[in-house]
Amino acid sequence: MSIFIEQIINGIIIGSMYALIGSGIALIYGTMRVLNLAHGEFYMLGGYIVFFLVVTYAVPAYLAIPIAILAIFLLGLLVQRLTIAYLLPREEWAFATIAATLGLSIFLQNLALLLFGEQFQSIPYYLSGVVEIAGLRLPQQRLLMLVVAIVTIAIMTFVLAKTRFGWALRATSQDKDAAAVVGIPAARIYTLTFGIAAALGCVAAAMLAPIYAVNPWMGLPVLFKGFVVVILGGLGSFPGAIVGGILLGIVEAVGVQVTSSEWRDVIAFGLMILVIWVRPWGLFGKPQ
Amino acid sequence: MLEVEGLDVFYGDFQVLWGVSLTVGAGEVVAILGPNGSGKSTVLKAIMGLTPAKRGRITFEGNDLRRVPTHGMVDLGISMVLERRRLFGAMSVQENVLLGAYRCRDAAEIRRRREWVESLFPIIGERRNQEAGRLSGGEQQMVAIARSLMSKPRLLLMDEPFLGLAPRIVQQIGEIIRKVHGEGISVVFNEQNVQLSFGLSDRGYLLEGGRVVLSGTGEDMLSSDVVRRVYLGG
Repeated sequence: MSIFIEQIINGIIIGSMYALIGSGIALIYGTMRVLNLAHGEFYMLGGYIVFFLVVTYAVPAYLAIPIAILAIFLLGLLVQRLTIAYLLPREEWAFATIAATLGLSIFLQNLALLLFGEQFQSIPYYLSGVVEIAGLRLPQQRLLMLVVAIVTIAIMTFVLAKTRFGWALRATSQDKDAAAVVGIPAARIYTLTFGIAAALGCVAAAMLAPIYAVNPWMGLPVLFKGFVVVILGGLGSFPGAIVGGILLGIVEAVGVQVTSSEWRDVIAFGLMILVIWVRPWGLFGKPQ
Repeated sequence: MLEVEGLDVFYGDFQVLWGVSLTVGAGEVVAILGPNGSGKSTVLKAIMGLTPAKRGRITFEGNDLRRVPTHGMVDLGISMVLERRRLFGAMSVQENVLLGAYRCRDAAEIRRRREWVESLFPIIGERRNQEAGRLSGGEQQMVAIARSLMSKPRLLLMDEPFLGLAPRIVQQIGEIIRKVHGEGISVVFNEQNVQLSFGLSDRGYLLEGGRVVLSGTGEDMLSSDVVRRVYLGG
């Protein structure tokens, strides 16, 4: 029984990482209606920055991670400005942005391969202890992941609900023209949103990299999981992505417990197909 | 204060406005009239920059509006109520109203403006925390007008303010247009119904097939054969 509970807790923890990735995809889709196929590569580059800072330059993790997040945020702004912002005003933007982000994904993967090589790099755990709560043994590293996810989601929720930027983002995603009429510059909101979404991916990369490994292809499976999350939660919904991510984590963990770990992706994508089948607008979206 | 001259607008290859010219003076209420599909809404959208103009001049107090992005219009003193209200439906009435003052960063000024629109529309205060999307059509129109007034405009464009509203509500919205005018704000609105429009406006422009076919005061226009021809096809 306690193994079962541990698995659920692990599911919640991994799910909170899925939530961070999925919420970035959801924010971008929700505001500019763009499916960012390069989202996984911001995650990958975030992982590499943390790896180089922590392992190569021995920067302490509590400094390295914020630096990586800031760097990926700035990179997100730059990439949005150079690609998406340029394509959005065009008539064929819907296809153009998919083609551009797919191209960007392939480009960044190969650039990473060229610059960093094909070896899988590992980052040591930030915390190595184990905590015992009510008979459950939890590695401190995993608890740290959960704490970081909760803090990040709390900050994002506050930003969306209470700040001028958050109001502008929500208004723009609901009605771009009405937002422009009241004086909200959609283009700037789009750029900032893209940077924030990339930074959310970097938070997940920083926390997951010590568990998995850093390599040029690490973004791809994460992108797919992110898609499962936004389909579960309803495309473009931030709270939906959070709940969808955690739900996916739990279902995977329990599913793997009753089958075996090779079934993890089958379970995830099976769940996605099921949702598309019975509730195509997602568990928390509204039918259109 | 607003001058439009020789405005041509295309949707793709299809030309919807042909050399439209009109003027709006300070403190005027001007109606743009015409049957469905005559290009009334396109005129307002082109002024606001929501639809790009191909040719022509649009100036507001000497500013070339074709060089101003839509989100910069409120800075010049132009605001718009979009067709079908277009509220931020998932946000509260209060959030919608406050977003109208997005460009204003002075909290005291925002409060003054909010008190001003609440005095014009008591419903804003009463329904403050309600989700805007759940209000009735008439209430939504009031919130939409209140939102557009929060930028303290000198010119208010209203796209089909009466569309889809019950007769009683139409009357109420008409009262509100008078109130807005009474605050010294110039108003341009478009509407199909000629009788209704001239109860509210000083002057009007009649559009047919994307061209201005008649302009003048209500009396001039109501007595004109052109109006009858355009509406009845006679």
